[in-house]
Amino acid sequence: MSLIEIKNVFYQYNETKKAVNGVSFDVKQGDYVTIIGHNGSGKSTLAKLIAGLLPVKSGQILIDGKEVNEENIASIRTRLGIVFQNPDNQFIGSTVKDDIAFGLENKLVPSENMDAIINEFAKKVGLEAFLNYEPQNLSGGQKQRVAIAGILAMKPDIIIFDEATSMLDPKGKKEIKQLMYDLASGDDITIISITHDIEEVLQSDDCIVLNKGKLFMHDKPENIFMHAEKLREIDLDVPFIEKVRETFGKHKIKLKAQDLKGMVDELCRSSSKR
Amino acid sequence: MNDLVFGKYIPIDSEMHKLDPRAKLIGLFLMIGAVFVPKSWWVFLAIALCLAVALLMAKIGIRMIVQSFKPMIMMMIFLLVINSLTIRTGDILFTIGSFAIYKDAIFNTLFVIVRLLLMISITTLLTATTNPLDLTLGIEWLLKPLEAIRFPAHEVAMMVSIALRFIPTIIEETMRIMNAQKSRGVDFENGRLSEKISAILSLIVPLFSVAFERAYELADAMEARGYVPGAKRTRYHVLKFRFKDYLFIFICVVILAGSIASRFYL
Repeated sequence: MSLIEIKNVFYQYNETKKAVNGVSFDVKQGDYVTIIGHNGSGKSTLAKLIAGLLPVKSGQILIDGKEVNEENIASIRTRLGIVFQNPDNQFIGSTVKDDIAFGLENKLVPSENMDAIINEFAKKVGLEAFLNYEPQNLSGGQKQRVAIAGILAMKPDIIIFDEATSMLDPKGKKEIKQLMYDLASGDDITIISITHDIEEVLQSDDCIVLNKGKLFMHDKPENIFMHAEKLREIDLDVPFIEKVRETFGKHKIKLKAQDLKGMVDELCRSSSKR
Repeated sequence: MNDLVFGKYIPIDSEMHKLDPRAKLIGLFLMIGAVFVPKSWWVFLAIALCLAVALLMAKIGIRMIVQSFKPMIMMMIFLLVINSLTIRTGDILFTIGSFAIYKDAIFNTLFVIVRLLLMISITTLLTATTNPLDLTLGIEWLLKPLEAIRFPAHEVAMMVSIALRFIPTIIEETMRIMNAQKSRGVDFENGRLSEKISAILSLIVPLFSVAFERAYELADAMEARGYVPGAKRTRYHVLKFRFKDYLFIFICVVILAGSIASRFYL
């Protein structure tokens, strides 16, 4: 059974343009799903609709069979967390530990249990030494890790990353992406990552491509990138490895490997045979 | 802008820091009352001495207190000028050209200035020794009785807490916008009044736009983490009154009582 079911969902901010236009797809429990598309394609709107931060105008979003609506939103939010793009705009507490505690306070966790939970999840994101730090004294990557710890502390089944790495420097990007991969592989957490990072898409189980609010493609990443021309039509790029495969393909050399090292080995083997 | 001292928390370990924020807030109101009542310079001196002891206990240097007076200097000069122009009673102290300056004008101004300086020092002592979050918890506790008349005490405390949390972020944003506008040729320091107004507008408009954007995103982040205004929540920081808190309030009550008594006996 799918954990998230999106059924023919529509949303529009104004009367002229539909931000999300009849989108339908399912997400299985424990999957790592990436959503890509150019700016204005409806990715972030879709994330907010799933999190119940915007009301669905028409269609239906179900999480574990429960419809995302005003009636169910409180119980759904205990199972779902969202990490936003700008780390500065989601820091609520005046220190790291106060920020992690914010969600716990809303979840009515008793005060005496909070320190243990805060320490556990600060350790999980590698911030146990920064618990008393103020937000302005942290790097972008560290701030995003605090946001993730705050969400993990609420023990959600689903985490949505809304371009969570786009405002970070390369080091911060690497840290957060690694944390996302660890979460996707280690726990039974379902991850939906909205991203412009094509390399990240390759790590996901499933990829959804949006274009002008509509579902453009939905498949395994390797199948999506086979249609490089189709992606380029909507101004999306393909990963470096697919560009290499495409270039060799033009010279009638077909490479099947899914990573760069595999491709190099494949090429070495074929050249030694010749 | 980063040198702003008034309202800044100094995270050090002192006896004043360890007091319950509610005790410090009650102490603040009692001491402000004590500053407003007396008419004798001796009482002001006694309050200043008490304050000096509190500053020593808080391990806060006199330099920080003096720095906190800086933003008030213009207001004090303005007060002196207005009083000199309007108060025309008492002996003539000296004349500037044909304009006489009266003793009452100078003494009344000095009275107000001393009261202001003492009030600023007391408030700086409170904010320097109290973590902003604890301060808002204290404010919420003080406002709690008003919930009976549907006053949103928790929401007000949450707003104050977020406002305090965002001060450094907004200062940083202001500096960034100022630098961006300077690089486009906007001059914030020189020029006629109309040019200065237009320069300030070029700072304020984007600043408001960014602040609203941040507010929307923060509201989404809070909502996504299960925050519902008015709903029941547990607390990470639980405030507890101890003996030393009661002792601190008692001392402040004694100072206020002494100050009131001075009105009748000095």
